[in-house]
Amino acid sequence: MSSLPTVDQFTPASGIGRIDTPADIARMKASLLKDIQRSAYVYRVDCGGCNGCEIEIFAAITPLFDAERFGIKVVASPRHADILLFTGAVTRSMRMPALRAYEAAPDPKIVVSYGACGCSGGIFHDLYCVWGGTDKIVPVDVYIPGCPPSPAATIYGFAVALGLLGQKLTAKTHVEGENERVAIAHPTVPYNLRVLVEREARRMAGYRQGGDLAEVFLAAMEAPDGRPFADRLAGLLRSTPDPRTREIFEALGGVITAAVGRLAR
Amino acid sequence: MFKLIKEIFRSGEATVKYPFAPLPMEKDLRGKPEHTPEQCIACAACTIACPPNAIGMTTDVEAATRTWSIDYGRCVFCGRCEEVCPTDAIRLSQEFELAVAKREDLVMKAVFRLARCEACDTPFAVAKEVAYVQEVVAASAPTPDEAEQRRRLAATCPACKRAHDVRQPAAFGVARRLEETRR
Repeated sequence: MSSLPTVDQFTPASGIGRIDTPADIARMKASLLKDIQRSAYVYRVDCGGCNGCEIEIFAAITPLFDAERFGIKVVASPRHADILLFTGAVTRSMRMPALRAYEAAPDPKIVVSYGACGCSGGIFHDLYCVWGGTDKIVPVDVYIPGCPPSPAATIYGFAVALGLLGQKLTAKTHVEGENERVAIAHPTVPYNLRVLVEREARRMAGYRQGGDLAEVFLAAMEAPDGRPFADRLAGLLRSTPDPRTREIFEALGGVITAAVGRLAR
Repeated sequence: MFKLIKEIFRSGEATVKYPFAPLPMEKDLRGKPEHTPEQCIACAACTIACPPNAIGMTTDVEAATRTWSIDYGRCVFCGRCEEVCPTDAIRLSQEFELAVAKREDLVMKAVFRLARCEACDTPFAVAKEVAYVQEVVAASAPTPDEAEQRRRLAATCPACKRAHDVRQPAAFGVARRLEETRR
């Protein structure tokens, strides 16, 4: 048993199989990106993902998105790879295979962390058996977030990894300005009535679409043209081609009529 | 052979032009959640709704600030934050090009100031949130007096509210009145 290597010996920090200093690796990586005269070979390392990311990677190499037109080719062995694509949240049992794949790939190699799980552990970040991100075990060059990243996002990520496109996102910190205030939406509609309208719209159309429909409805009812409520509602219904949306608007009109009726009593 | 070439011309090119041309997007595509800090009241509804805890808030009582943050590296693009936001401060955009070289670039932050309690002068909630809640409770109050009372209540910290709840019945003299009625 004592002849088996310890876990520490496998970590990149202790450097089993490592032949270069970090500076050398950086220089080699730069030259790889500059002088690569052939396809960039990608090896996909699944360290405990749900397979969603794998499906999107294979969608990215189908004829529809066709990553191979940029020379991005998925290979079957880490020994052929230039780019290592780590998916999954790095579970306890997949950590060693992932490290072995990393060590098996020849230097210089580009490590891409793929998907929300690869970037930070994603929705599994606080599980007991999860390391939480590729960068906990190997140095990462490019992060592609998404759950899963779409094929287009995958192609964009590869372009960033190969230095063809620049990254768009940068860290930002907003500091609250002086007298920054948020106004209530639709101040002319009584607040409780607005709540009733939004609740009914969300009950009928789901949370997000219901909210959007309530917004359209309230904006139309609020327009300052002095027409009576029934006319406006009829106008809104006339200008709505979708019968399902029309039904929801009718119901919202009913909510307002009922509320006004309760008030009159 | 001729038939094959004809078929190729007939079916056309299936491959999308991206990244040389913008990709046509579905209307309801759930892309990068776009936060508008000016519209945000830091009510923490999104931090509670967020399934992977990509959105979070930390409070610095010393500096009297609360920092809202989103980690796009952990976001699963489910849209729950957008559903629960009462002020439409966070909306899912069509943006999907999120790849970065540095992990830090995936984190966006917004710093908000805390309001001080009317009674004890300790910071207890984000000033914008208190102002917004005051507007809402005042708007739904039946009388101007009631509205003013609700405004003051909204600007009081929970500890002071509890303390008042204990003190006020004492001031009403409940025990004394019970004694009187018993007699």
